[in-house]
Amino acid sequence: MFARSPVAVCGLVLLVAILLVSLIGPLVYVADPFDIVAAPLSPPFSEGALLGSDQQGRDVLTGLIYGGRATLTVGAAAALISVVIGITIGAVAGYFGGTVDEALMRFTEFFQVLPSLLFAMVLVTLFSPTLTTVVLAIGVVSWPGTARLTRAEFLKIKQYDFVAAELAIGARRGRIMWKVILPNALPPLVVSATLAVGAAILFEASLSFLGLGDPNRMSWGLMIGSSRSYMLSSWWAVTFPGLMIFLTVLAVSLIGDGLNDALNPKLRERR
Amino acid sequence: MRQAIAAFITILAIASAVAAPATAQEPRRGGTLVMGQSTGTTSFNNAVGSGTGIMVPGAQIFASPVMHDDKWNPKPYLAESWELSPDSLSMTLHLRKDALFHDGTPVTSADVAFSILTIRDNHPFNTMLAPVERVDTPDAATAIIRLKHPHPALLYAMGPPLMPILPKHIYGDGRPIKTHPNNSKDVVGSGPFKLVEFKPGDQIVLERFDRFFIKDRPYLDRIILKTYPDSQTSILELEAGRLLLQPFFNRVLELDRAKTNPQLVITNEGYAAVGGINWLLFNNKRKPFDDVRVRQAFAYAIDRDFIVKALHKGLSKVATGPIHSGFPQYSPDVTKYSLNLKKAEELLDAAGLKKGPDGVRLKVTCDYYPGDEDGQKRLAEYMKPALKKIGIEVEVRAPADFAAWAKRMATKDFDISMDAAFAWGDPVIGVNRTYLSSNIRPLVFTNNAQYENPKVDELLDAAGREPDAAKRKALYGEFQKIVTADLPLFWLTELPYHTIYNKRVHNPPTTIWGTASPMLDVWLSEK
Repeated sequence: MFARSPVAVCGLVLLVAILLVSLIGPLVYVADPFDIVAAPLSPPFSEGALLGSDQQGRDVLTGLIYGGRATLTVGAAAALISVVIGITIGAVAGYFGGTVDEALMRFTEFFQVLPSLLFAMVLVTLFSPTLTTVVLAIGVVSWPGTARLTRAEFLKIKQYDFVAAELAIGARRGRIMWKVILPNALPPLVVSATLAVGAAILFEASLSFLGLGDPNRMSWGLMIGSSRSYMLSSWWAVTFPGLMIFLTVLAVSLIGDGLNDALNPKLRERR
Repeated sequence: MRQAIAAFITILAIASAVAAPATAQEPRRGGTLVMGQSTGTTSFNNAVGSGTGIMVPGAQIFASPVMHDDKWNPKPYLAESWELSPDSLSMTLHLRKDALFHDGTPVTSADVAFSILTIRDNHPFNTMLAPVERVDTPDAATAIIRLKHPHPALLYAMGPPLMPILPKHIYGDGRPIKTHPNNSKDVVGSGPFKLVEFKPGDQIVLERFDRFFIKDRPYLDRIILKTYPDSQTSILELEAGRLLLQPFFNRVLELDRAKTNPQLVITNEGYAAVGGINWLLFNNKRKPFDDVRVRQAFAYAIDRDFIVKALHKGLSKVATGPIHSGFPQYSPDVTKYSLNLKKAEELLDAAGLKKGPDGVRLKVTCDYYPGDEDGQKRLAEYMKPALKKIGIEVEVRAPADFAAWAKRMATKDFDISMDAAFAWGDPVIGVNRTYLSSNIRPLVFTNNAQYENPKVDELLDAAGREPDAAKRKALYGEFQKIVTADLPLFWLTELPYHTIYNKRVHNPPTTIWGTASPMLDVWLSEK
């Protein structure tokens, strides 16, 4: 089903290519992205800097190859954290209902009404910007959507007959929640998790853009952030990492769309 | 022969006729000078606060006993003349009798005495007036400053950014001076401009004081100080002609851009007394930085020429030692460090820091304070690739804000850090604090290298008291020699401060204090 959607396949191919460059690239092309290789702000096709150099004289191409790891790690890890928190809270709220639901949803709303970027900035500022704090900050501020979605799925599925049957044979709560309801709620959650990866990458880029990235890990966001004030005079230092982020988020979104189509039973019947 | 002379005279006449229109541009009264500033102002009372946000407007509102020209010579201001007693222990100021405060009351010696003692007891530069014992006021126009010991820095400490003369009847009313309500509104001084509007974080409007004691000055009707925390906004405003003068500008990229604009002029004049230098601070009390060989190895691995030429585009200058090269006390006869990776590695080997199997000898953290991109952040980031070459792995610790960095300095929680300071007119005022062992304090901008050398303490103390300029210079020369060999910290560059101004601005402030002194001669042409 997924394979029949050309758009989704495009996304997958793109993502695999980006993953290959980011994971295998550093093994093949050994360099330090922080090394000074050329005069600061050399344009593309300069000696020693194919895609130009940034304001410190660091090679943009090396930065692109080495920066992918941090960016993708942040994207995946932060999305994982947000999905885990979101599913746990949503599942508990949806399954138990009543006061538990009330309490958890008010708690979720508390996070929802805070502007998430500002909140993440506060967290990173409080605990000095390192890769770990950036991941945690993004994870902590971006789970409410997943929680809402999970809760809705749980509210719906827990009324189905097969859940009643499990209850009748005396299955424990844990089993019903995680073994019975969750697998049936997964399709929309998978799509949402995929999109969360893209959102987390954008989040990392925004934080770095505002100067709140880890200065010791080369990432695409950091590249954009540290070269942003040179944008008018040297476009290459921000354009290439920006393009990488754009392509990655696009790939992830296309895959998310493809998965959505593939996992949606109504669409499946229609085809 | 006679013909030759006649020809010569003719040539002279033609030359002067041609030159005349250029020099004959008469200063014009009137106009509003819109000036930019990067740090916001919270108070105007520079008797109890430092920093350009206080000193630049403060020097317009308050007059001081003396001012200085661009060659470090003191000039009369509120004091018509002054003399130092032969034993150098008392300084007599003869004040002008026609000076008025903005509220119309005359400036008297009582105000001068009150101000000097207030500054001595409250100003953050606590060495500046420390030798002042008391101020005698035999009559309304004479103030005699009595000193505990000779204090040659006094003539600079009496300059516009450092010694505002406050009206005693307002600031001496018993309310605590540091939080006095008149520090930020209804400010009363005797300077060329008076405060008419203050919107914190946005703008300050200063208006010409018509009863100012120097005849026909200032030329300007109004100065508007606008706060632009972002250097890109300032440059756009300058290019649009809305902002006419931006002092204390140190962003390399925008300076470079302003150079090519025909409407704008950039100059580094007017920062001589500021004497800003930045450096790499070593935590001398923490291993392995207690070993001078390690500190020197760092110095041999850092390429200051690259910093100046490539990172600063030639807009800064290599700092060779603790005193800015524009200062009369500067000495070039010091231990010099230039890039020498081999020597650096030898020094580290000798200090027992051998390379591990991964090629790493040492891991250090490097801090910097936020807000000065070219003077701090980019140099901290440069340490990473530079020191990697000698096997030192640097982790840059980005500070959340200034307070976070200040706390690391105060608690000495750092390995190496970028740092900088202004000298403000005399080594006693702005240089001593970084090297005196008595100034190892839990505070930012003190002796945070925790450097202790009794000989240096002695030299600085002696130089601070030495009235003879030549002997004093020799003492500072000796100090510079010792400190550059001990290397408690490694000086990188003299800060690239510049003023950018529109061609309409004439006589831009270029004295040693720059815009932190009264803008009496600045005038604006039509277009």
